[in-house]
Amino acid sequence: MTGELSEAVAAAQGGDEEAFRFLYRSLQPGLLRYLTALVGGDAEDVASETWLQISRDLPSFTGGEFRAWTVTIARNRAMDHLRRQRRRPALPVPVQALSELAGDADTAERAGETIGTESALALIASLPPREAEAVLLRAVIGLDAETAGRVLGRRAGAVRTAAHRGLRRLAGLLERADADQPADRAGGATPPRARTGPGRQASQAPKAEPADG
Amino acid sequence: MSSGRSDWPADPAESERLLDAARAGTPPEAPADPLAHLLAAAAAPGTAAELAGEEQALAAFRAARANPAPAAAPGPRRRFRVGAVLAGLAATATAGVAFAAVNLDRTPEPAPPPAPTTPGGSTGGASEPGSPAPSGGTTPSGGASGGVPSSAPTPGSSGGPGGSGRPASAGKLAGHCRAYLAKSDQQRAKALESPGFADLVTAAGGADRVESYCLALVPEKSPEPTPTPTPESKPTSESKPKPKSTPKPKSTPKPKSDPKAEPKSDPKSTSKP
Repeated sequence: MTGELSEAVAAAQGGDEEAFRFLYRSLQPGLLRYLTALVGGDAEDVASETWLQISRDLPSFTGGEFRAWTVTIARNRAMDHLRRQRRRPALPVPVQALSELAGDADTAERAGETIGTESALALIASLPPREAEAVLLRAVIGLDAETAGRVLGRRAGAVRTAAHRGLRRLAGLLERADADQPADRAGGATPPRARTGPGRQASQAPKAEPADG
Repeated sequence: MSSGRSDWPADPAESERLLDAARAGTPPEAPADPLAHLLAAAAAPGTAAELAGEEQALAAFRAARANPAPAAAPGPRRRFRVGAVLAGLAATATAGVAFAAVNLDRTPEPAPPPAPTTPGGSTGGASEPGSPAPSGGTTPSGGASGGVPSSAPTPGSSGGPGGSGRPASAGKLAGHCRAYLAKSDQQRAKALESPGFADLVTAAGGADRVESYCLALVPEKSPEPTPTPTPESKPTSESKPKPKSTPKPKSTPKPKSDPKAEPKSDPKSTSKP
Protein backbone atom coordinates (compact mmCIF):
# COMPACT_ATOMS: atom_id res chain seq x y z
CA MET A 1 0.00 0.00 0.00
CA THR A 2 2.71 2.37 0.92
CA GLY A 3 4.67 1.26 -2.08
CA GLU A 4 1.69 1.89 -4.26
CA LEU A 5 1.39 5.32 -2.78
CA SER A 6 4.97 6.28 -3.38
CA GLU A 7 4.80 5.03 -6.91
CA ALA A 8 1.82 7.23 -7.48
CA VAL A 9 3.64 10.15 -5.92
CA ALA A 10 6.54 9.73 -8.27
CA ALA A 11 4.25 9.42 -11.26
CA ALA A 12 2.27 12.47 -10.22
CA GLN A 13 5.46 14.42 -9.87
CA GLY A 14 6.13 13.43 -13.44
CA GLY A 15 2.79 14.87 -14.45
CA ASP A 16 0.63 11.78 -14.45
CA GLU A 17 -2.90 12.93 -13.84
CA GLU A 18 -4.27 9.53 -13.08
CA ALA A 19 -1.63 9.06 -10.46
CA PHE A 20 -2.68 12.31 -8.87
CA ARG A 21 -6.25 11.17 -8.98
CA PHE A 22 -5.22 8.03 -7.18
CA LEU A 23 -3.50 10.08 -4.53
CA TYR A 24 -6.57 12.17 -4.09
CA ARG A 25 -8.84 9.19 -3.74
CA SER A 26 -6.51 7.52 -1.32
CA LEU A 27 -5.89 10.47 0.93
CA GLN A 28 -8.81 12.81 0.71
CA PRO A 29 -11.28 10.88 2.89
CA GLY A 30 -8.84 10.71 5.76
CA LEU A 31 -7.82 14.33 5.37
CA LEU A 32 -11.40 15.46 5.26
CA ARG A 33 -12.27 13.53 8.38
CA TYR A 34 -9.29 14.84 10.20
CA LEU A 35 -10.07 18.37 9.11
CA THR A 36 -13.65 18.02 10.20
CA ALA A 37 -12.44 17.44 13.69
CA LEU A 38 -10.26 20.53 13.47
CA VAL A 39 -12.47 23.05 11.73
CA GLY A 40 -15.92 21.52 11.68
CA GLY A 41 -18.12 22.54 8.79
CA ASP A 42 -15.35 24.37 6.99
CA ALA A 43 -13.45 21.17 6.44
CA GLU A 44 -14.22 20.93 2.76
CA ASP A 45 -12.94 24.41 2.08
CA VAL A 46 -9.78 23.74 3.98
CA ALA A 47 -9.39 20.45 2.17
CA SER A 48 -9.59 22.31 -1.13
CA GLU A 49 -6.88 24.67 -0.01
CA THR A 50 -4.86 21.70 1.09
CA TRP A 51 -5.04 20.11 -2.32
CA LEU A 52 -4.15 23.38 -3.96
CA GLN A 53 -1.01 23.50 -1.94
CA ILE A 54 -0.28 19.84 -2.49
CA SER A 55 -0.54 20.47 -6.21
CA ARG A 56 1.73 23.44 -6.03
CA ASP A 57 4.32 21.93 -3.77
CA LEU A 58 4.32 18.41 -5.10
CA PRO A 59 7.50 18.97 -7.09
CA SER A 60 9.27 19.93 -3.90
CA PHE A 61 8.29 16.77 -2.06
CA THR A 62 11.53 14.94 -1.71
CA GLY A 63 10.54 11.73 -0.09
CA GLY A 64 9.54 10.38 3.25
CA GLU A 65 6.06 9.61 4.38
CA PHE A 66 3.73 11.22 1.91
CA ARG A 67 0.74 10.86 4.20
CA ALA A 68 2.56 12.78 6.86
CA TRP A 69 3.50 15.44 4.35
CA THR A 70 -0.05 15.95 3.20
CA VAL A 71 -1.56 15.85 6.66
CA THR A 72 0.94 18.43 7.82
CA ILE A 73 -0.16 20.70 5.02
CA ALA A 74 -3.76 20.08 5.97
CA ARG A 75 -3.02 20.86 9.57
CA ASN A 76 -1.26 24.08 8.71
CA ARG A 77 -4.09 25.13 6.50
CA ALA A 78 -6.53 24.37 9.27
CA MET A 79 -4.55 26.41 11.76
CA ASP A 80 -4.41 29.27 9.29
CA HIS A 81 -8.09 28.98 8.83
CA LEU A 82 -8.75 29.09 12.52
CA ARG A 83 -6.48 32.05 12.90
CA ARG A 84 -8.36 33.80 10.16
CA GLN A 85 -11.60 33.06 11.83
CA ARG A 86 -10.16 34.16 15.12
CA ARG A 87 -11.77 31.46 17.00
CA ARG A 88 -10.82 28.38 18.81
CA PRO A 89 -10.98 24.95 17.33
CA ALA A 90 -14.67 24.38 17.36
CA LEU A 91 -15.29 20.74 17.71
CA PRO A 92 -18.64 19.43 16.67
CA VAL A 93 -21.21 19.23 19.37
CA PRO A 94 -20.68 16.03 21.21
CA VAL A 95 -24.10 16.01 22.73
CA GLN A 96 -25.67 15.53 19.39
CA ALA A 97 -23.17 12.90 18.49
CA LEU A 98 -24.01 11.01 21.57
CA SER A 99 -27.71 10.99 20.98
CA GLU A 100 -27.17 10.02 17.38
CA LEU A 101 -24.89 7.33 18.51
CA ALA A 102 -27.42 6.01 20.91
CA GLY A 103 -29.87 5.82 18.06
CA ASP A 104 -27.29 4.12 15.95
CA ALA A 105 -26.50 1.59 18.57
CA ASP A 106 -30.14 0.84 18.84
CA THR A 107 -30.45 0.37 15.15
CA ALA A 108 -27.28 -1.58 15.06
CA GLU A 109 -28.58 -4.05 17.52
CA ARG A 110 -31.59 -4.69 15.42
CA ALA A 111 -29.93 -4.75 12.07
CA GLY A 112 -26.68 -6.26 13.14
CA GLU A 113 -24.84 -3.29 11.76
CA THR A 114 -22.17 -1.15 13.20
CA ILE A 115 -21.93 2.47 14.09
CA GLY A 116 -21.72 4.84 11.16
CA THR A 117 -18.60 6.68 10.08
CA GLU A 118 -20.02 10.07 10.81
CA SER A 119 -21.09 9.21 14.30
CA ALA A 120 -17.78 7.61 15.00
CA LEU A 121 -15.95 10.72 13.85
CA ALA A 122 -18.21 13.03 15.76
CA LEU A 123 -17.52 11.05 18.85
CA ILE A 124 -13.79 11.15 18.32
CA ALA A 125 -13.98 14.85 17.67
CA SER A 126 -15.63 15.33 21.01
CA LEU A 127 -12.45 14.25 22.75
CA PRO A 128 -10.00 16.82 24.03
CA PRO A 129 -8.14 18.08 20.95
CA ARG A 130 -4.86 16.37 21.66
CA GLU A 131 -6.47 13.04 22.13
CA ALA A 132 -8.72 13.47 19.14
CA GLU A 133 -5.79 14.36 16.92
CA ALA A 134 -3.75 11.45 18.14
CA VAL A 135 -6.55 8.98 17.52
CA LEU A 136 -7.33 10.42 14.10
CA LEU A 137 -3.75 10.52 12.90
CA ARG A 138 -3.21 6.98 14.00
CA ALA A 139 -6.44 5.27 13.05
CA VAL A 140 -7.85 7.38 10.26
CA ILE A 141 -4.86 8.92 8.53
CA GLY A 142 -2.91 5.78 9.17
CA LEU A 143 0.34 7.04 10.61
CA ASP A 144 2.41 5.22 13.15
CA ALA A 145 3.03 6.85 16.48
CA GLU A 146 6.47 8.14 15.53
CA THR A 147 5.28 9.81 12.36
CA ALA A 148 2.21 11.20 14.06
CA GLY A 149 4.51 12.63 16.68
CA ARG A 150 6.52 14.42 14.03
CA VAL A 151 3.40 15.87 12.51
CA LEU A 152 2.25 17.13 15.87
CA GLY A 153 5.64 18.21 17.06
CA ARG A 154 5.51 15.82 19.96
CA ARG A 155 7.23 12.71 21.08
CA ALA A 156 5.91 9.37 19.97
CA GLY A 157 5.35 8.44 23.58
CA ALA A 158 3.17 11.46 24.09
CA VAL A 159 1.12 10.49 21.08
CA ARG A 160 0.68 6.98 22.40
CA THR A 161 -0.43 8.28 25.74
CA ALA A 162 -2.86 10.73 24.23
CA ALA A 163 -4.31 8.08 21.94
CA HIS A 164 -4.67 5.67 24.79
CA ARG A 165 -6.46 8.21 26.91
CA GLY A 166 -8.67 9.04 23.99
CA LEU A 167 -9.61 5.43 23.46
CA ARG A 168 -10.46 4.95 27.08
CA ARG A 169 -12.61 8.00 27.01
CA LEU A 170 -14.31 6.73 23.89
CA ALA A 171 -14.91 3.40 25.51
CA GLY A 172 -16.54 5.19 28.39
CA LEU A 173 -18.72 7.25 26.08
CA LEU A 174 -19.78 4.18 24.19
CA GLU A 175 -20.61 2.44 27.34
CA ARG A 176 -22.83 5.20 28.46
CA ALA A 177 -24.50 5.46 25.10
CA ASP A 178 -25.01 1.77 25.24
CA ALA A 179 -26.50 1.95 28.66
CA ASP A 180 -28.98 4.31 27.12
CA GLN A 181 -29.03 6.98 29.71
CA PRO A 182 -30.59 10.00 28.15
CA ALA A 183 -30.11 11.89 31.35
CA ASP A 184 -26.46 12.02 30.59
CA ARG A 185 -26.94 13.87 27.40
CA ALA A 186 -27.06 17.17 29.12
CA GLY A 187 -23.53 16.68 30.23
CA GLY A 188 -22.52 14.67 27.24
CA ALA A 189 -19.30 16.50 26.69
CA THR A 190 -17.81 15.54 29.97
CA PRO A 191 -15.47 12.64 29.89
CA PRO A 192 -16.30 9.58 31.82
CA ARG A 193 -16.02 10.64 35.34
CA ALA A 194 -13.02 9.48 37.14
CA ARG A 195 -13.86 8.19 40.53
CA THR A 196 -11.74 10.73 42.20
CA GLY A 197 -13.49 13.51 40.38
CA PRO A 198 -16.46 14.38 42.49
CA GLY A 199 -14.63 14.02 45.72
CA ARG A 200 -11.93 16.32 44.65
CA GLN A 201 -14.34 18.78 43.35
CA ALA A 202 -16.27 18.78 46.53
CA SER A 203 -13.26 19.24 48.67
CA GLN A 204 -12.07 21.99 46.47
CA ALA A 205 -15.25 23.83 46.37
CA PRO A 206 -15.43 26.15 49.24
CA LYS A 207 -17.47 29.21 48.74
CA ALA A 208 -16.27 31.29 45.93
CA GLU A 209 -17.12 34.38 47.80
CA PRO A 210 -14.64 35.74 50.16
CA ALA A 211 -15.92 35.23 53.63
CA ASP A 212 -15.45 38.76 54.48
CA GLY A 213 -18.06 40.31 56.59
CA MET B 1 -18.94 3.62 34.81
CA SER B 2 -21.10 0.76 35.63
CA SER B 3 -19.45 -2.30 34.31
CA GLY B 4 -15.95 -3.65 34.38
CA ARG B 5 -15.41 -2.71 30.75
CA SER B 6 -14.70 0.83 31.76
CA ASP B 7 -11.02 0.17 32.07
CA TRP B 8 -10.77 -1.00 28.50
CA PRO B 9 -8.41 -0.74 26.72
CA ALA B 10 -6.32 -1.78 29.62
CA ASP B 11 -2.97 -0.33 28.61
CA PRO B 12 -1.31 1.67 25.87
CA ALA B 13 -0.18 -1.48 24.14
CA GLU B 14 -3.75 -2.60 23.81
CA SER B 15 -4.66 0.79 22.45
CA GLU B 16 -1.85 0.60 19.94
CA ARG B 17 -3.13 -2.75 18.80
CA LEU B 18 -6.60 -1.36 18.28
CA LEU B 19 -5.33 1.69 16.44
CA ASP B 20 -3.12 -0.36 14.19
CA ALA B 21 -6.00 -2.65 13.36
CA ALA B 22 -8.11 0.30 12.33
CA ARG B 23 -5.24 1.78 10.40
CA ALA B 24 -4.71 -1.42 8.48
CA GLY B 25 -8.39 -1.74 7.78
CA THR B 26 -8.58 -5.01 9.62
CA PRO B 27 -12.17 -5.77 10.47
CA PRO B 28 -12.69 -5.97 14.19
CA GLU B 29 -12.40 -9.45 15.46
CA ALA B 30 -14.70 -9.42 18.36
CA PRO B 31 -18.07 -8.25 17.18
CA ALA B 32 -18.96 -7.37 20.69
CA ASP B 33 -16.34 -4.71 21.12
CA PRO B 34 -17.89 -1.37 20.28
CA LEU B 35 -14.61 0.50 20.45
CA ALA B 36 -13.06 -1.54 17.68
CA HIS B 37 -16.18 -1.00 15.66
CA LEU B 38 -16.02 2.69 16.24
CA LEU B 39 -12.44 2.89 15.04
CA ALA B 40 -13.19 0.74 12.04
CA ALA B 41 -16.09 3.00 11.16
CA ALA B 42 -13.93 6.07 11.51
CA ALA B 43 -11.38 4.57 9.16
CA ALA B 44 -13.91 3.19 6.72
CA PRO B 45 -13.27 3.65 3.01
CA GLY B 46 -14.15 7.00 1.56
CA THR B 47 -17.56 7.77 0.23
CA ALA B 48 -18.47 9.48 -2.99
CA ALA B 49 -19.46 12.59 -1.10
CA GLU B 50 -16.03 12.84 0.42
CA LEU B 51 -14.47 12.72 -3.01
CA ALA B 52 -16.64 15.46 -4.41
CA GLY B 53 -13.69 17.79 -4.83
CA GLU B 54 -11.80 15.45 -7.10
CA GLU B 55 -12.16 17.42 -10.30
CA GLN B 56 -11.30 20.61 -8.52
CA ALA B 57 -8.16 19.06 -7.14
CA LEU B 58 -7.22 17.78 -10.56
CA ALA B 59 -7.78 21.20 -12.01
CA ALA B 60 -5.41 22.58 -9.42
CA PHE B 61 -2.92 19.92 -10.32
CA ARG B 62 -3.11 20.79 -13.99
CA ALA B 63 -2.93 24.46 -13.29
CA ALA B 64 0.11 24.06 -11.11
CA ARG B 65 1.88 22.12 -13.80
CA ALA B 66 0.79 23.98 -16.84
CA ASN B 67 0.81 27.50 -15.58
CA PRO B 68 3.73 28.22 -13.39
CA ALA B 69 3.07 31.92 -13.62
CA PRO B 70 -0.08 33.37 -12.20
CA ALA B 71 -0.88 34.68 -15.64
CA ALA B 72 -2.83 31.76 -16.95
CA ALA B 73 -4.31 30.24 -13.89
CA PRO B 74 -7.19 27.82 -14.22
CA GLY B 75 -9.98 30.16 -15.01
CA PRO B 76 -9.64 31.78 -18.39
CA ARG B 77 -10.40 28.86 -20.57
CA ARG B 78 -11.16 30.74 -23.67
CA ARG B 79 -7.82 32.33 -23.76
CA PHE B 80 -6.26 29.06 -23.08
CA ARG B 81 -8.01 27.54 -25.99
CA VAL B 82 -5.80 29.37 -28.39
CA GLY B 83 -2.73 28.21 -26.62
CA ALA B 84 -4.04 24.71 -26.39
CA VAL B 85 -4.82 24.47 -30.03
CA LEU B 86 -1.49 25.93 -30.97
CA ALA B 87 0.22 23.52 -28.72
CA GLY B 88 -1.65 20.66 -30.25
CA LEU B 89 -0.78 21.92 -33.66
CA ALA B 90 2.82 22.23 -32.89
CA ALA B 91 3.19 18.98 -31.09
CA THR B 92 1.13 16.65 -33.18
CA ALA B 93 -0.54 17.02 -36.52
CA THR B 94 -4.05 18.09 -37.31
CA ALA B 95 -5.37 15.23 -35.28
CA GLY B 96 -4.01 17.04 -32.32
CA VAL B 97 -6.09 20.03 -33.15
CA ALA B 98 -9.21 18.00 -33.44
CA PHE B 99 -8.51 16.35 -30.15
CA ALA B 100 -7.78 19.56 -28.42
CA ALA B 101 -10.80 21.22 -29.90
CA VAL B 102 -13.14 18.45 -28.91
CA ASN B 103 -11.90 18.27 -25.41
CA LEU B 104 -11.80 21.91 -24.75
CA ASP B 105 -14.30 22.04 -22.06
CA ARG B 106 -13.01 19.18 -20.11
CA THR B 107 -9.32 19.48 -20.32
CA PRO B 108 -7.89 22.88 -20.88
CA GLU B 109 -4.69 21.21 -21.84
CA PRO B 110 -4.11 18.74 -24.66
CA ALA B 111 -2.77 15.41 -23.72
CA PRO B 112 0.93 15.87 -23.26
CA PRO B 113 2.47 14.26 -26.29
CA PRO B 114 6.03 13.54 -25.26
CA ALA B 115 7.00 11.89 -22.07
CA PRO B 116 7.35 14.45 -19.36
CA THR B 117 10.84 15.36 -18.57
CA THR B 118 11.12 14.90 -14.87
CA PRO B 119 10.11 18.17 -13.45
CA GLY B 120 11.03 16.78 -10.10
CA GLY B 121 13.46 19.20 -8.66
CA SER B 122 13.76 21.51 -11.57
CA THR B 123 12.73 24.95 -10.67
CA GLY B 124 11.87 26.08 -14.13
CA GLY B 125 8.35 24.84 -14.09
CA ALA B 126 7.67 26.50 -17.38
CA SER B 127 9.34 23.74 -19.31
CA GLU B 128 6.17 21.81 -19.26
CA PRO B 129 5.86 19.65 -22.33
CA GLY B 130 2.18 19.83 -23.07
CA SER B 131 1.74 23.50 -23.35
CA PRO B 132 4.67 25.33 -24.74
CA ALA B 133 4.28 28.87 -23.62
CA PRO B 134 0.70 29.71 -24.38
CA SER B 135 0.31 32.38 -26.99
CA GLY B 136 4.01 32.50 -27.54
CA GLY B 137 6.51 35.00 -26.45
CA THR B 138 6.04 35.34 -22.77
CA THR B 139 7.94 32.69 -21.04
CA PRO B 140 6.29 32.93 -17.75
CA SER B 141 9.05 33.42 -15.30
CA GLY B 142 9.36 29.97 -13.92
CA GLY B 143 9.57 28.53 -10.51
CA ALA B 144 6.03 29.24 -9.67
CA SER B 145 5.05 25.65 -9.62
CA GLY B 146 7.54 24.98 -6.96
CA GLY B 147 7.04 27.83 -4.68
CA VAL B 148 5.87 31.31 -4.35
CA PRO B 149 4.97 32.92 -7.59
CA SER B 150 4.70 36.22 -5.87
CA SER B 151 3.08 38.86 -7.87
CA ALA B 152 4.85 38.28 -11.09
CA PRO B 153 4.27 41.09 -13.47
CA THR B 154 4.15 38.85 -16.51
CA PRO B 155 0.45 38.34 -16.93
CA GLY B 156 -0.69 41.02 -19.24
CA SER B 157 0.52 39.89 -22.60
CA SER B 158 -0.54 36.32 -22.51
CA GLY B 159 -4.01 37.27 -21.55
CA GLY B 160 -4.52 39.90 -24.16
CA PRO B 161 -4.83 38.43 -27.60
CA GLY B 162 -7.14 35.50 -27.16
CA GLY B 163 -9.70 37.15 -24.98
CA SER B 164 -12.83 37.25 -27.01
CA GLY B 165 -13.72 40.78 -26.23
CA ARG B 166 -13.30 40.30 -22.56
CA PRO B 167 -11.86 43.35 -20.96
CA ALA B 168 -10.33 41.86 -17.87
CA SER B 169 -6.75 40.95 -18.35
CA ALA B 170 -5.13 38.38 -16.18
CA GLY B 171 -3.24 41.08 -14.43
CA LYS B 172 -6.43 42.82 -13.61
CA LEU B 173 -7.88 39.60 -12.34
CA ALA B 174 -4.92 39.12 -10.12
CA GLY B 175 -5.49 42.57 -8.77
CA HIS B 176 -9.10 41.79 -8.12
CA CYS B 177 -8.06 38.63 -6.43
CA ARG B 178 -5.74 40.43 -4.09
CA ALA B 179 -8.46 42.83 -3.25
CA TYR B 180 -10.88 39.99 -2.77
CA LEU B 181 -8.61 37.96 -0.58
CA ALA B 182 -7.91 40.93 1.58
CA LYS B 183 -11.52 41.15 2.53
CA SER B 184 -13.31 39.58 5.40
CA ASP B 185 -15.82 36.87 4.76
CA GLN B 186 -18.70 39.23 4.91
CA GLN B 187 -17.13 41.72 2.64
CA ARG B 188 -16.31 38.96 0.23
CA ALA B 189 -19.87 37.90 -0.11
CA LYS B 190 -20.84 41.45 -0.81
CA ALA B 191 -18.02 42.01 -3.21
CA LEU B 192 -19.02 39.07 -5.33
CA GLU B 193 -22.30 40.72 -6.05
CA SER B 194 -20.84 43.98 -7.08
CA PRO B 195 -20.29 44.58 -10.77
CA GLY B 196 -16.66 45.36 -10.15
CA PHE B 197 -16.00 41.74 -9.44
CA ALA B 198 -18.17 40.34 -12.18
CA ASP B 199 -15.19 39.60 -14.36
CA LEU B 200 -13.56 37.75 -11.57
CA VAL B 201 -16.61 35.63 -10.93
CA THR B 202 -16.82 34.83 -14.60
CA ALA B 203 -13.21 33.93 -14.84
CA ALA B 204 -13.41 31.74 -11.80
CA GLY B 205 -16.42 29.97 -13.17
CA GLY B 206 -18.80 30.88 -10.42
CA ALA B 207 -19.01 32.80 -7.21
CA ASP B 208 -18.29 29.78 -5.11
CA ARG B 209 -15.08 29.17 -6.93
CA VAL B 210 -13.63 32.58 -6.63
CA GLU B 211 -11.73 31.83 -3.50
CA SER B 212 -9.94 28.78 -4.78
CA TYR B 213 -9.40 30.46 -8.10
CA CYS B 214 -7.80 33.41 -6.42
CA LEU B 215 -5.75 31.25 -4.16
CA ALA B 216 -4.34 29.59 -7.23
CA LEU B 217 -3.79 32.87 -8.96
CA VAL B 218 -2.44 34.81 -6.05
CA PRO B 219 -1.12 32.46 -3.45
CA GLU B 220 -1.14 35.01 -0.73
CA LYS B 221 -0.97 32.50 1.98
CA SER B 222 2.08 30.67 0.88
CA PRO B 223 4.38 32.74 3.04
CA GLU B 224 4.03 29.94 5.44
CA PRO B 225 7.31 29.36 7.14
CA THR B 226 7.55 25.67 6.42
CA PRO B 227 5.37 24.52 3.62
CA THR B 228 7.55 21.51 3.24
CA PRO B 229 6.88 19.66 6.39
CA THR B 230 9.84 17.43 6.53
CA PRO B 231 10.05 17.37 10.22
CA GLU B 232 13.02 15.09 10.24
CA SER B 233 15.61 17.49 11.47
CA LYS B 234 14.37 20.00 13.81
CA PRO B 235 17.09 22.39 14.66
CA THR B 236 17.31 22.06 18.34
CA SER B 237 18.05 25.12 20.23
CA GLU B 238 21.36 23.86 21.40
CA SER B 239 22.87 23.79 17.96
CA LYS B 240 22.64 27.44 17.39
CA PRO B 241 21.67 29.57 20.24
CA LYS B 242 20.21 32.50 18.52
CA PRO B 243 20.99 35.73 20.16
CA LYS B 244 17.48 36.77 20.41
CA SER B 245 17.52 40.11 21.95
CA THR B 246 18.92 42.68 19.67
CA PRO B 247 18.27 45.58 21.83
CA LYS B 248 16.11 47.83 19.87
CA PRO B 249 15.53 51.02 21.65
CA LYS B 250 11.87 51.30 21.59
CA SER B 251 11.47 54.27 23.71
CA THR B 252 12.67 57.00 21.52
CA PRO B 253 14.27 59.58 23.63
CA LYS B 254 12.59 62.78 23.12
CA PRO B 255 14.46 65.55 21.61
CA LYS B 256 14.94 68.09 24.22
CA SER B 257 14.47 71.02 22.05
CA ASP B 258 10.84 70.35 21.68
CA PRO B 259 9.52 68.73 24.74
CA LYS B 260 5.84 69.16 24.43
CA ALA B 261 4.90 70.43 21.10
CA GLU B 262 5.04 67.14 19.27
CA PRO B 263 2.54 64.59 20.33
CA LYS B 264 3.20 62.20 17.52
CA SER B 265 5.95 60.10 18.97
CA ASP B 266 4.25 59.66 22.22
CA PRO B 267 3.67 56.00 22.79
CA LYS B 268 1.07 55.77 25.43
CA SER B 269 1.18 58.73 27.57
CA THR B 270 -1.61 60.59 25.99
CA SER B 271 -3.45 60.99 29.14
CA LYS B 272 -6.65 62.66 28.55
CA PRO B 273 -7.68 65.08 31.08
